[in-house]
Order: sequence, then C-alpha cells, then structure tokens
Amino acid sequence: MQISQELVQKITEEVVRQIKSRGDDGTKYDANGYRKVVADELGEDDVPSMAGRTRINENKSDYSSYKKAAKGTDPKEIVIGVGAAFQREIKKTIGGIPLDDVIRNVKAGIEEEGMIPRVVKILDTSDVGFMALESAKLSGSGIGIGIQSKGTTVISQKDLYPLSNLELFPQAPLMTLETYRRIGQNAAKYVKGENVTPIPSVNDPMVRPKYQVKAAIMHIAETEQLDPKLGIIEWEGK
Amino acid sequence: MKRSKRFEILDQRPVNKDGFINEWPEMGFVAMKSPYDPKSSVKVENGRIVELDGKKREDFDFLDTFIADYAINIARTEQSMKIPALEIAKMIVDIHVSRKEVLEVISGITPARMAEVINELNVVELMMGMQKMRARRKPGNQAHITNLKDDPVQIAADAAEGALRGFAEEETTMGVARYAPLDAMGLLIGSQVGRPGVLTQCSSEEATELELGIRGLTTYAETLSVYGTEKVFIDGDDTPYSKAFLNSCYASRGLKVRFTSGSGSEVLMGSSEKKSMLYLECRCLYVTKGCGSQGIQNGSVSCIGIPGSVPAGIREVLGENLVAALLGLECASSNDQSFSNSDMRRTARTMLEFLPGTDFIFSGYAAEPNYDNMFAGSNFDAEDFDDYNVFQRDMQVDGGLRPVKEADVIAVRYKAAKAVQAVFRQLGLAEVTDEQVEAITYAHGSKDTLPRDVAADLMSAEDVMKRGITGIDVVKALADSGFTDVAESVLSMLKQRVIGDYMQTAAILDSHFHVMSGVNTPNDYMGPGTGYRVEGKRWEEIKRIPHRINPMDI
Repeated sequence: MQISQELVQKITEEVVRQIKSRGDDGTKYDANGYRKVVADELGEDDVPSMAGRTRINENKSDYSSYKKAAKGTDPKEIVIGVGAAFQREIKKTIGGIPLDDVIRNVKAGIEEEGMIPRVVKILDTSDVGFMALESAKLSGSGIGIGIQSKGTTVISQKDLYPLSNLELFPQAPLMTLETYRRIGQNAAKYVKGENVTPIPSVNDPMVRPKYQVKAAIMHIAETEQLDPKLGIIEWEGK
Repeated sequence: MKRSKRFEILDQRPVNKDGFINEWPEMGFVAMKSPYDPKSSVKVENGRIVELDGKKREDFDFLDTFIADYAINIARTEQSMKIPALEIAKMIVDIHVSRKEVLEVISGITPARMAEVINELNVVELMMGMQKMRARRKPGNQAHITNLKDDPVQIAADAAEGALRGFAEEETTMGVARYAPLDAMGLLIGSQVGRPGVLTQCSSEEATELELGIRGLTTYAETLSVYGTEKVFIDGDDTPYSKAFLNSCYASRGLKVRFTSGSGSEVLMGSSEKKSMLYLECRCLYVTKGCGSQGIQNGSVSCIGIPGSVPAGIREVLGENLVAALLGLECASSNDQSFSNSDMRRTARTMLEFLPGTDFIFSGYAAEPNYDNMFAGSNFDAEDFDDYNVFQRDMQVDGGLRPVKEADVIAVRYKAAKAVQAVFRQLGLAEVTDEQVEAITYAHGSKDTLPRDVAADLMSAEDVMKRGITGIDVVKALADSGFTDVAESVLSMLKQRVIGDYMQTAAILDSHFHVMSGVNTPNDYMGPGTGYRVEGKRWEEIKRIPHRINPMDI
C-alpha cells in the first residue's frame, strides 16, 4: 500500500474532524464540518431553572441589635416606614431610582414644609397599606408614609381604615424623584391641616405586562427579609 | 455573534416587551399543576369532613375548615369523589349530560379534585365547558368607567355612552380615593341616562364601598377579595368568616354583590405555599361559595401579568373561570386588565371567554381610552369598540355590545353631563360649568376636558358623606331639576333592593327593569340547536356596524 502525501492529508483531516465532532465546547459538527443543529433535541436552556430554590437571597439580614422604633410625641413629626429589604438587599426601585435618593427627597419635601421626618424600617409586614398605617400610628403628627423597596408609596393617617389612604402611588415604575419630593411636601401639608391638592395621578396601561413579574420577584425578596418578632426598628435612612 | 436581521426585527416585536419567566413552583410561578399540590381525598365522620385533600382535620388551616364546613355538599361528597377526575372532565364536555347533572356531581368534590378535573381539559374543551356551564342563558358584558382626573361629570358621560353601547354593568374607581361619593353619583346618573336598568358600582376600600351601597349611591358591589392562602388573607386583615359577614351586610340591604379573586395574587404577595395558581384559585372559589355569594369576578384579574408569564398560564385563566361556573357561581371573567403589549396576544387571550360566552365576558372593558383607565388599563378600551363589534359580526357571537350612532352618543353624553350639573347644583355641591359640560360631551378622554377644582370637589365629597346624602336625594334632585325620566330610572334601580330578585345568580336588568338571571333564564345549552343563539333582532343589530359600503355610492 502506497502512502501518498494526499492520503496522509486526508487521514489528518478526518481525525481533526472527528476530534471536532466530539466538541470540547459541546458543539457538534456533522461529517462536513458544519455546526450541527438538531431540531428534535431541546439541548441546554439559555435561562437556568430556579426550581428547587426556596429563597431569592440565601442570607437574611439580622436587625436584632437595632433599636425598636418608639412612638413619637412631636406634633411636627412625620414617620417614613421603609420596607424590610430597603437599602440592603434592594438598592434601587423597580424603575431604577437609587433608594438613597428616594429617601433623601421624601425627607427634603417634609423639611421644606417645616415638618420633621423620621425613618423606620418595618419588619412585620411588606403590605404597603399597612406599612403606611403603622408609620402613621408611630408618628407624632399621625401622618405617615409607607415606601416599599420597589418604590410603591402610600400616605396614610392613623385613624384611616387599613386599606384606605390619603394618597396612593400604585404604579412604582412611573415614579420620579420629583414625585417623591412632592409626597414629602403633601404629607407635611396634611399635618398643617391645609386643603391639600393630591399629586395628580399618572397612568401607563402597559406597566403591568412590562413590570408585574419583576414586581413579584422584588416583593418576594422583601417579604423573605421580614422579622415579625422585631416589629419596627429605627432606621434613619442607612 | 453577528446578529441576524430577522432576529433583530423579532426582538422589537411588542410581544417581546411582555414579561415571561420559567416555572418556579417554590415561589408559586406554576399555572396548572405544582409538584407540591395535594392529592385529592375526602373522609366524612358523623356528618363532618374529617379529611380534606390529604390533610387531617386537626391540621386544617382556616380555609380548609371553612371549605370543609360550608363549601362542599357533605351528603354527596363520598359518592362524587368516587368518580375519577377524567370521568368528570368528560361529563363537562358531553352535550348529553346537562348542566344541572354536572353541578350536582361537582357539589361534592374537593378543591384538589377540581384542579385535577381542569387539568384533564385542553382549552377547546374548557371553552365547551364554559358554553354549557355559564349560569345565565345570554352572555353579558361589564364596563370600567374611570378617568385620570376622577371627574364625576366625565364619568357620567362615559357611563351614558357605555350603557347605550350595551354594557349591563358599569364599575368605577378613583385615583384619589376620596372622590368616591361624587364618582359613584356620576356613574349612577349617567348609566340611567344611557340605558335604564344598567347596574353600577364604585370599587373602593371595603367599608366605604359598603356605605355607598347602603345609601343607594351604587346598585351592586364587587370588590370583596378572597385569597388562596391563610397568610395572604391575614395580611389583608381578613378571614373567610369576615368576608361572609361582609357579604351578609350587603344581602341584608338587598344589594347584589359578587366576590373577587384570581390567580397570581398569592405569588405577588409572596405567600403561595408552593402551590399551583389553579389549586389556590380553586380554594378561593370554594371560599366564595361557602360565603354564600352568588358570584365571582375572577380570571387572575389585576394579577394577569403573573399567570401570563408562565407556561399554560392563559389556559389556567380560562380554567379558573370554568371552575367558578362549575360551582354554580356567576362568573365575571376578567379580561379587565392590560395584559400584553401585543395586540395579537391580548385578542387571543380574550377569545377564550368571548367565544363560549360568560356571564360577563369583561369585568370590565375600558369604556374610555386606556390612559384614563384607573384600574391601570384594561385589555380592551374605547378605541377597540369597532374592532369588537366586527368580531361579533364576523363570528356571529354575542359579546354584549352593539354598534351605535355618533349623534345618539353625543346626545346621551350631553344629557348625562347636564343631569349631573343639575344634581350638584340642587344638592349644593361643587359647581359644574357649561363649558365643562360642552367639553365632556364631545371628549374622547380627559385630555379633552377642562380641569376640575380638586380641592372644592373633595370638600363636596366629604360633605356628601357627612350630610348623609342617599340615592333618594339624587332622585329628588333629578326630579326637581326637570330630569323626570332619569329620576324615575334611578328610583326603579333603588326599588330593586326591596324586590330582591336581582340578588339571584348572574342577574342583570333589561330596560324595563326585568331581571334576567341564572334562575329565571338559566343556560340550557346541550349541543347544536339548544341554548342561546344569536338570531332575530339581536343579529340584525350586530350586523349594522358603521363603515359598510353602500353600493349606491359607487
């Protein structure tokens, strides 16, 4: 059997092809060296399955060393109650606004109207209606603001029904820093007994399809940080 | 990777702006069946259910206890539970088995068995089931009537137009909750201008909603929410028992009321207990039945983005509508919330209820442009009216609406706005100017109307509550200002609460205030040639869409 240069080359090519088809990166090649796309095999999924996991964040923050929030006595005081994951596990609203800026603007709005803000973190509920009501009950003035980590906000008053409110901002993705500042201002105006014009509603009917799944994930991340034994703690925005 | 131009185009398609997620049972992101769903079972001892869906009575949570005690026909449960899920599923689609027979068998099965039955049915079979199991013979439709300014005069005009277009019920809600009494009045007056007999409600905080109902400023209620897990119930400061009491409060005053539930709420609130959306919704519907409610608004409702994000989620939504019908409840089948960026996807989703027909296909349809819809957008809005009328004509299906003439719409909008102006003047409430009436008459939405004095309106709203103004005061104010026919209609609506017939399952009223319900006009579908058919005058009405070609013009 004569071994020609041509035959050596052919054998070499065939070996290389076979090595390739074994695919170090998992890619399969057909006999002609083309990338193999097999329609009847599902192959690997681009998005990993979360099935089996029972938490979003494996770790739970420990707030046992924090001071329990006291009931205020200053009639000028407005309590802002933030969510359990606020500024910790979650640092930005669903619309991408940093929570540090959110809290700074709400406080500034309150101060501009001559009232005094106090920030607490609510660890016994993640329902924004109850967060606002609990804040109002702690507040020296009886007016409180509840802010979830995804940005949903409610202004409440201590004598209102739990699911009622003075003002509700349900579409968190539409919130701006200006809105947060005006929320602070309006809360202060309620304390002063002024005839307050509520901040005009905004509405984007396409918010739900775009954001509802993200809202659910963020709410789960907030809810899993609850520590009902601790109730409400002093937070002061950090 | 070098990008394919086709994929670049596809990536821009509206459907790809929607939210999708893999199934994740531990967090409740699973539509039809979770590995953690219980296996159905029942055990009765001394006339009491002592085991329900694999759980012993001592391990029941309050939903299990409530369902075992009040929602399952104990006398028939062991017999019904002997029938395999697949057999029950076959009965549901079998045209030779009557609705009544199916209701009897279903009355004895447990929530987990119900979920197993629904899992045996594909979407076409679910639609066949709905066509047969819907309570009322004739399908109906409900509107949302809201606007960004909470303007009660625009609400009256849109309510009048909506009523004229065929909606049997109209629901409002507010951006600013304190507007409720004024908006409820606007809706009540406007609806009766458009078509006597239309029912109205004002979705608000439960105590306020009850008070508005008791006063006769609304004629039904809908926002009694129930949930599928104990934790979510407790978070809402409620139990099945408290909901039953609230339901009785409405009943004691002769008001029609339905409950609200829907898949995805437990996921959104982070407490799904790893169960499927379908199983949790079955629990909600059993609680609703146990509370003695005549009906439910369900089909995920405001949480539609959650089932909409997972595989088979839209099949599940129709499935839960059918569960309501199988339990003999009136079903207002959602379609009431913006759900997809894709016109194709949102239409496809609605066909599942539109084609078989439900008691209320939408709960509701935005009878204003969606930017004014204060339920955060409905699946269909005022700009889709003509499309919807064409669907009815194309397929000879009764979707509850009808084509209208522009001049007729302008006339009822004007009359409704003038009636509200007169009533507010008679009762000493915030002023409505002629310029506001004019703008609202011809408006599409609140972008075309004049601003209201919000602070003055809110003071008036408070005044309505403080002075104890009732529906009768509205009747008097209408009569005293010359709107005698509207006054008579509003009074006739208030009389319904004394008669009480409209509290029966799936009741609506015709223009002569005659009740059509699942009791006096029950669904009698049993295959071809039976049940409700689009024919006669109604078919002629549906045919008359605008923009038909007149051959004489060519």
